[in-house]
Amino acid sequence: MKIIITIIASMLFSTLFYDQHIGLNLTVFSLVTLVALGISNPSKLRMKETLIVMGLYLLTAILVFFNHSLLSIIANCAVFFTLVGSFSEATSSVYVKWLNGIYSSIAGTFHRNFEDKSENKKPWNEDVDVLHLIKIIVIPLVVVILFVLLYKDGNPFFEEKVAAINFDFINFQWILFCLLGYYLFSNIIVPVKVQPATDSDLATENQLKPLEPLNEDNLKKEKQLGTVVLALLNTLIVLYIISDIAFLLSNTNFAASVLSNQVHNGINALIASIIFAIIIILYFFRGNLNFFDENKTLKNLSYLWIFLNAFLVLLIIVKNAQYIDAFGLTYKRIGVYVYLFMTFIGLTTTFLKVYQIKNLWFLFRKNVSVAFMLLVLCSVVDWDAFITNYNIKNADSLDVNYLIELSNNNAFILHQKKDRMVLKSNQGARIDLKYSNYVSVLEQSNWQELSYDNFKLKTDIKSYEDTK
Amino acid sequence: MKIPSNLAKSSLLATGIFWVIGMTDGFHINMMAFMFISYIPVFVCCTGTILLTICPFYFFGETKHFSKRQVFQRFYPYYSIVCFALCAYGIYENTNETFLIGFFVAAFFTTMQSWIWFAKESADETV
Repeated sequence: MKIIITIIASMLFSTLFYDQHIGLNLTVFSLVTLVALGISNPSKLRMKETLIVMGLYLLTAILVFFNHSLLSIIANCAVFFTLVGSFSEATSSVYVKWLNGIYSSIAGTFHRNFEDKSENKKPWNEDVDVLHLIKIIVIPLVVVILFVLLYKDGNPFFEEKVAAINFDFINFQWILFCLLGYYLFSNIIVPVKVQPATDSDLATENQLKPLEPLNEDNLKKEKQLGTVVLALLNTLIVLYIISDIAFLLSNTNFAASVLSNQVHNGINALIASIIFAIIIILYFFRGNLNFFDENKTLKNLSYLWIFLNAFLVLLIIVKNAQYIDAFGLTYKRIGVYVYLFMTFIGLTTTFLKVYQIKNLWFLFRKNVSVAFMLLVLCSVVDWDAFITNYNIKNADSLDVNYLIELSNNNAFILHQKKDRMVLKSNQGARIDLKYSNYVSVLEQSNWQELSYDNFKLKTDIKSYEDTK
Repeated sequence: MKIPSNLAKSSLLATGIFWVIGMTDGFHINMMAFMFISYIPVFVCCTGTILLTICPFYFFGETKHFSKRQVFQRFYPYYSIVCFALCAYGIYENTNETFLIGFFVAAFFTTMQSWIWFAKESADETV
């Protein structure tokens, strides 16, 4: 059964991807993968974790068709590896799922080949004399070719006939692509795992356990050091925040360079501050200090330090919002929000680590999971279209060149709204060129390369003609 | 470790893969002679790669308490991922060069299979 699924999937793989750009083919491939994995591993479908990842994979597959953005393709690939890893070991951490997924996709067949042999499983070729089979194919073939080479020089008519042999009707590259598909599907259809990493991950809990014995004298000294360090750092960050607020309130009309500097300096300060915060907290709460009765002050200072860093995040959000309000959205400015969000999550998980006495693995697991979910969520939005719409509608100072340089995903919007923008010199012509190039790309695309924009094209042309 | 037989088999495999991909650009009967001769440079490449990148894992990893099977389970996954990344990068950088694509594909599959042949020696001994 599995071999039939693999053969069908490999033929589909070649049909979908050979000499094609990404489009509907990736969506169909995702559906084929889901069906193939589901049929081959029905027992895994009962696990909640696997079903969730399957749902996410389906979502990203649909997004590739609708958004057709690089981010949606990256998210689809990331979820693909997570899915394969989930079929390999559903209860492992996300990063172990990635490791298992990548390993299965790359070398699953080789791994199984070795495992089957070591576990004394009956090999597929036990009843076939493979060596004899190779001999009766390869030796006659080599002999015939050698004799053909000999005879063709001795007879011009025979040489002419040999030269006329033409295999052009066979597309060898298509066949090789099929083999690649076969290899990929045979790898993932029975996912394997990186045994040492998976076992170690499954054996590692999130909870921190006390190390015997508790040396009260050392713990007291460590607590004193921690209290002094965190008290000083808290004082310092309070002063920094006060000066920052004073600066924000002092002037409301900032120049672009001032705002840009403020945001970037703020981010740099925040990076340093958060890294120090987490390292210091992790250092002091790495072991028995968590279980020491007199650690209340140190814990409260840590919570305050985390809270003040979170407040610093809020201040940079305000600055970034001001910056965006005046000069519009860009990928970098959205990236700042993403970074701030991840920072906030990092602080929250650090707080939970201290509060609930968790270990370092808890931090890794939770933060990586949130980053993964954030990637999937971000891929839901067609950012080029979003940035273009937002900037045209809201930005006080519109950077049209930036919008033109974005991907083709905003070609329709720019073309529709160019009359509402104040354009300089050749910007109108560049928008028209971008639009016409994109239309010709869409018109030339095969069914494998289709995206939602192909269906929007007709509507767009009609609405543009109506407005004219 | 049966290094000579592993090198011979690996070189044969690499030559086969290399020419199967190379022939997709077109095949002429006169190329047959080159195919046989190419076994020599391929053997040199395979020897260097296998001796330098695979054998050390078994030389230094295998001990009385750590079998070849355990060496395989511990290191092979990471080796395969790194090897794939390097070969995929090589292919990505040379998408129009069929022979270079053939080289990288052959390198990937040959090193993967070579690991298995070394690891299977212990499995064969225990079976």
